[in-house]
Amino acid sequence: MGSKVLPQALLTIPRQPNQCPTKKLVFSNVLSRRSSPLNSARDSFSRVSSTYVGSIFDPIAVAMKKRAFVVRAESNSESEAEAAEEGGAVAVEEPSEVKAEGEGEAGAEKEATLESEEAKPPRKPRIKLGDIMGILNKNAIEASEKERPVPDIRTGDIVEIKLEVPENRRRLSIYKGIVISRQNAGIHTTIRIRRIIAGIGVEIVFPLYSPNIKEIKVVKHRKVRRARLYYLREKLPRLSTFK
Amino acid sequence: MRTVLKVVDNSGAKKVMCIQAVKGKKGARLGDTIVASVKEAYPNGKVKKGKVVHGVVVRAAMQRGRCDGSEVKFDDNAVVLVDKQGQPIGTRVFGPVPHELRKKKHVKILSLAKHIA
Repeated sequence: MGSKVLPQALLTIPRQPNQCPTKKLVFSNVLSRRSSPLNSARDSFSRVSSTYVGSIFDPIAVAMKKRAFVVRAESNSESEAEAAEEGGAVAVEEPSEVKAEGEGEAGAEKEATLESEEAKPPRKPRIKLGDIMGILNKNAIEASEKERPVPDIRTGDIVEIKLEVPENRRRLSIYKGIVISRQNAGIHTTIRIRRIIAGIGVEIVFPLYSPNIKEIKVVKHRKVRRARLYYLREKLPRLSTFK
Repeated sequence: MRTVLKVVDNSGAKKVMCIQAVKGKKGARLGDTIVASVKEAYPNGKVKKGKVVHGVVVRAAMQRGRCDGSEVKFDDNAVVLVDKQGQPIGTRVFGPVPHELRKKKHVKILSLAKHIA
């Protein structure tokens, strides 16, 4: 109930300080309206708002303090929808994270802001929209590295991969060959292995961080002057044969 | 359609041309069955030139994705001739074959193959 009144109250509070002198009356009305529903819920809130109503010396300063106070309280204690109106970009993108943090800190920060009305709480670093995939990929790679560390593999390495195939549950399949390319894409970083098997060239793409891969071992290294060795497809089979 | 594939068993044919993919409108991929016409054959073999046969694609130059995110691709297109029930006509299979045949229930071809990619 109290939460429903607050957003409207926020919108009626003037954004620019110059408008304050003309709307002084509206301001005090709004405050008196706000204090009554809040009395039941949060005593500390109404105490502060009543002191503000009494002393409107400098409307500009009061408006700015009031707005700052309300905005801080809003982003801390309300849900994402209300906070978004004030431009709280943090809450919109990572609702689960901020909500948990917000609720935990709501109690602590309310007291902090009320005790020291001028001091701001320490700002949490904002997570931007563009960073989310990078963070998710990094976490996924870390989780996979914990299970099995992945060695540094570059184009031109001759590697041996032990793969667990669900159909062939008895034994691990072994794939050996030269890495002809490496595509970096976060958790789906892949390497392409080429080898001549029984006279026919076979290329297999393996995702490096796959849980099916039980072991990757770099056996040798061939000096190459390219990042993608697609020219090996046209060359003699001898160059792609590995015992 | 019109794809010429290499025959990698000892059924007597050398090259076949695909006429139709048995299942699917978009064509056959690695592991699918096709209807083909024999274009080139050995003189003394079980199949002769011009015969319409069924075959299982065992190697394809187009990559085929697997469920774990890996992809496999071969350097050529090859087929093993089978009868209508899916049993291979020949008695030997040359070259590597992929795992995908196991899921398609071509167990006999897998057991005849020397190497499973």
